[in-house]
Amino acid sequence: MAITEKEYATTTGEASYGGHGVHVVLKGEPIFDVLGFTVTNSLLLAGIVTALLVSFAFFFGRSLKMVPGKLQAGIEWVFEGVLNYMAETLENEKMARRFFPLIMSIFLFVFIANLLALFPGIGSMGFTHDGHFTPLFRAPAADLNATLALAFIAFFTIEVTGIATLGFLKYGSKFVNFSSPVDFIVGIIEFLSNLGRIISFSFRLFGNIFAGEVMILVAIYLAAYLVPVPLYAFELFVAFIQGVVFSMLTLFFIKLAIMEPHGKEAH
Amino acid sequence: MEELFATFGIDGKLIIAQAVNFGIVLVALTYLLYKPVLRTLDERAKLVAKGVEDAERASQKLAGADKAAAEAVAKADKEAADLLASARDAAGTERTRLVKEAEARAAAIASDAEARAKEASAKALRDSEKEIARLAVLAAAKVIGEKK
Repeated sequence: MAITEKEYATTTGEASYGGHGVHVVLKGEPIFDVLGFTVTNSLLLAGIVTALLVSFAFFFGRSLKMVPGKLQAGIEWVFEGVLNYMAETLENEKMARRFFPLIMSIFLFVFIANLLALFPGIGSMGFTHDGHFTPLFRAPAADLNATLALAFIAFFTIEVTGIATLGFLKYGSKFVNFSSPVDFIVGIIEFLSNLGRIISFSFRLFGNIFAGEVMILVAIYLAAYLVPVPLYAFELFVAFIQGVVFSMLTLFFIKLAIMEPHGKEAH
Repeated sequence: MEELFATFGIDGKLIIAQAVNFGIVLVALTYLLYKPVLRTLDERAKLVAKGVEDAERASQKLAGADKAAAEAVAKADKEAADLLASARDAAGTERTRLVKEAEARAAAIASDAEARAKEASAKALRDSEKEIARLAVLAAAKVIGEKK
């Protein structure tokens, strides 16, 4: 059976239009192997983002002053704002402080990774192997492995927090409830929607960033100058918004998880 | 399902690698960035609270000091006024006393002078009477002696 180009694309995750020009790859591509472990270009950029964030944190954290400079004042303003917002949302100052690192890290990681992926050279630097171009770096969020990893971390944090706060039985009663047929169905829907978060979390981020990359790629292919500029501006905005969305949703789901189940006493 | 995984390049090892990567970000940033910054914020908040409290206390103290000063001034004013009044009073009584004394003395001097004048005139009268009597006797003796 002959394989059409479209079928080839769906099985390999690659699509090329007219055999040349825009070359879209749906997944991260291997760059090198370390002890049998294949490092992909998206993992490579994720590592660089980590290195940047950690080294910035290292130098900045040591230079904190009681009378802040502009940078410190800005960062303090952001942290304080986020912390206050979290305390308001969770209605618990202690909880807000406990989850602040996770929420802030999700935002910083996603935002900086998306931002870095838009830098010139990222995506265009690479090497050609057997007539196939492999970029050295790829936006981590344009690889479902990265977004899935974040989604799993968020998911487990949410569920574990729910169990730790309410207790296993009480938290479980949100999903398995025999008090009435309606409650039983609601419980199953709740369970499925919880599981579905892994997919919605990961595909939302992946879809946004991947689509942005393709859009810019197509725009550059059609008109290399000026036309991609507004798209780049929009992608900067998307880079920020996706970071906010991922972290805020994690926060809201944590809030939902620690809320008392809707039992008879709640009505 | 496997086709889906292959299309998107989903690989358990890569997911774990990405998760570990994010874990490093989370742990490193927690200890290097979030905790120091939040600690600085807390310390500053404490410092500001203390500063405000100190300022409040200082202003309270200042208000107290103002009140005390005003009280002291009022008290001093009152004392001074009292002192002045009593001094004026005392001066008044002293003056009247002096005037009375002077008047009394003047009166005494006057009456003394009068008495002395009276006495002098009486004495003069007496003296002149005595002289007249002596002169009369002398005259008589002379008359008698001539007749003899």
